[in-house]
Amino acid sequence: MTTVTVKPETHIKSKGLLARLRLNGNWLFVLPALVFFIGYQAYPILRVLWMSFTDLQYLSGDPANWVGLKNYINALKDPLLWQGLWRAGQFTLMFLPGTIILPLLLAILIDRVRNQRVATIYRVILLIPAVIPSTLVFVLWKWMYNFQIGPINHILVNILGLYTIRTAPQWLGGTSLTLPAIAIMEVWWGLGYHALFFLAGLASIPKELPEAARVDGANEWQLFWHVTLPRLQPIMAILVVLRFGSAMAVIDEYLILGGFNRATPTYTWTVFMYDQAFKSGLWRQGFAAAIGMIGAIVMMIVVAGLLWVFRSRD
Amino acid sequence: MAKKIQRNKEQEYLLHQKLVKQLNAGQISRRGFLTRMLAGSLSLAGLSVLTDSAALGAPARQDTRPLTPTFYQWIDDLHPGIESVVNPRFDNLNFQIAPVQGFGVERFVAEARNQESTWDVYVGTTPFVEMVQLKESGAIEPWDPFIPQEVVDDMIPSIREEGIVDGQRWAWPFLLDVIVQSWHAGILTEAGLEDAPAATWTEYLERAQAIVESGAAPFGATFDARGWRSLAPFTHSLSTDVYTEEGLFDFRSEPAIEALKLMKDIMQFANPDILLEGASDGGVNDTPDEAAWAAERAGQYTKYQNAPIRFAENWVDPDQVRLGPLPSFEGGEGSTVFWTTGAALFRFGQNKEAAAEYMTELTYDMQIWQDSIAGTETGRPMQLPPYQSIYAEWEANPPAWLPDFVGLVRGQLDVAKAIPNHLFGLQQFVIGKPVWETFLTDEESDPAVAMQNAWDAVQAEINRDA
Repeated sequence: MTTVTVKPETHIKSKGLLARLRLNGNWLFVLPALVFFIGYQAYPILRVLWMSFTDLQYLSGDPANWVGLKNYINALKDPLLWQGLWRAGQFTLMFLPGTIILPLLLAILIDRVRNQRVATIYRVILLIPAVIPSTLVFVLWKWMYNFQIGPINHILVNILGLYTIRTAPQWLGGTSLTLPAIAIMEVWWGLGYHALFFLAGLASIPKELPEAARVDGANEWQLFWHVTLPRLQPIMAILVVLRFGSAMAVIDEYLILGGFNRATPTYTWTVFMYDQAFKSGLWRQGFAAAIGMIGAIVMMIVVAGLLWVFRSRD
Repeated sequence: MAKKIQRNKEQEYLLHQKLVKQLNAGQISRRGFLTRMLAGSLSLAGLSVLTDSAALGAPARQDTRPLTPTFYQWIDDLHPGIESVVNPRFDNLNFQIAPVQGFGVERFVAEARNQESTWDVYVGTTPFVEMVQLKESGAIEPWDPFIPQEVVDDMIPSIREEGIVDGQRWAWPFLLDVIVQSWHAGILTEAGLEDAPAATWTEYLERAQAIVESGAAPFGATFDARGWRSLAPFTHSLSTDVYTEEGLFDFRSEPAIEALKLMKDIMQFANPDILLEGASDGGVNDTPDEAAWAAERAGQYTKYQNAPIRFAENWVDPDQVRLGPLPSFEGGEGSTVFWTTGAALFRFGQNKEAAAEYMTELTYDMQIWQDSIAGTETGRPMQLPPYQSIYAEWEANPPAWLPDFVGLVRGQLDVAKAIPNHLFGLQQFVIGKPVWETFLTDEESDPAVAMQNAWDAVQAEINRDA
């Protein structure tokens, strides 16, 4: 009787111990990822969130005080925030089609090249802009767009005679052409990189599908519209969401090519935030954090909408 | 015996007081102070003073590393003599390039918040730009206990005043920039004009018109549209009495409004992209005026003196560039704007006495100044020294490489005025620019309204927290 009662208990105990060890072991394996997530992602976000509810001014020696929603209310009442969001939205609208349509067309053209060596050469040529460091890209395009000595205006004024030296387009520095000019630069820069996404997507489409469609009498347009495009939708969704986020949050290009002039189209919400955090007065980082949180919320709402638009319909 | 001891103690006390006074006045170095105290058998008292932060105005720390100066990259690029001539004179110097761009001082402030500093002295600060930010953040401390009095006395009076805030010296001046007039002798001659500076703005505008009408160049004149490089100096040429008590530029003042009207008058003959932002350093550098001048498309130019020289280097004949004092309004004060780029002393740095010795060597080095003015293979920065003795020496024994206009630029400093040090010293011009430009672009017809709006915009930013 004793043996009958003792054995199962020992068995249960040892089983519980093993289970606990296994559970703890699992946590041990998860720990690096958890530390990374908390330290690298969650903590900075929570820290900025906390800052956005304080009157933190970085240059001031005074401790930060809790001010509740004051920064959010002030930011929402500030026309610079709304102007900045609208300007970033305008740039995104100019930039996004260029990251989808052009690379898609290029990918389809390259996909049809049957000679593998030639196709590889095309891929390498396309990728060249993507591997140029950003500094070089900015220097190159700053020179291209230069009003006085840039080759674009040289062609327009001196070769084609479409403009005079007084009426030539002013591309950069805060005119209405600045955002389209930057968008063109960005599209050129990412063309090969984005085309690679679509090439990967095209490679994953089973060859039988277009062949079957052709047997059924589909022309090339119908093939593209009804077979290729739906299959590339997941790739498009990834690209649109990724590039929407990066386009709305552009700041380097604006700081380099536009500066802190509040009337210029490049003074977006990101520049406004940076201006407040690191330039103006005692560096109002609490207020800047609120601007950042509002911008992030707006972007998340749009991303949710985009994910719904590109949801799987299979 | 007791009397003798008492008398000795009194003498020790008097010597102690005298040396502390000299130390605080910067007349002797900390090392000199300690040596003299030791010589007077007052080492313990001396150490107590040296560790008394209140006496020195800064936390005293043990020096545990070599002198570590850090320079804004462009200074090192333009003045190769710093590394090749000055630095070798200091044993065990840890020379570094500063992690800053576009006047950003974030790293310095962040370190100061942790009561530490990787560097001892930062060479690259301009009083009205980032010096006040560094001061407000507690990242730097005054030079007063460390800078020798003879160096202070030697500064040109206007420069001596520039780095002062609340009665203390926060910047040690190094490279001097002053807004001057420049012209292309070849273009002016081709337009039938005299190869000489315009005395008044009326004359300047007439010359600009003549240049355009003669076809000698497409543009008669150009300027840098950033306020501290055009609006402020143009205003100073009429009057320098345009600052509020707290040190803000009064956009609403009559001289400032006249200066704005002058900018619009010049724009008739200028490159059409003149108002655009620059293409580097947050829009303040790589400006359109520089491109127009470098391309020999403008006959006249107003900017700090090194710009016309540097951007004329690629002309067909760079010797055609000329400099002179900024023109004046009729009956105006004839002043201009100057600033220096100099050094700030990190509060939580070390080697403060050595930093002062280094700065003295650096700023008095004649090879640096010869290279700056006459040029080297890396360029001709044309930045000038801040000390009277150097100009006096050049006047007495003019070196063969010294151009005539150095004397003219020096002469301007007797009447030039720096933009007052204020937390918004630079920002006020950045914030106001798009607003006053509504008059320049004909969006607003009344210059007074445009300037009032610029003032309001600056005030709104300053009072954002109120």
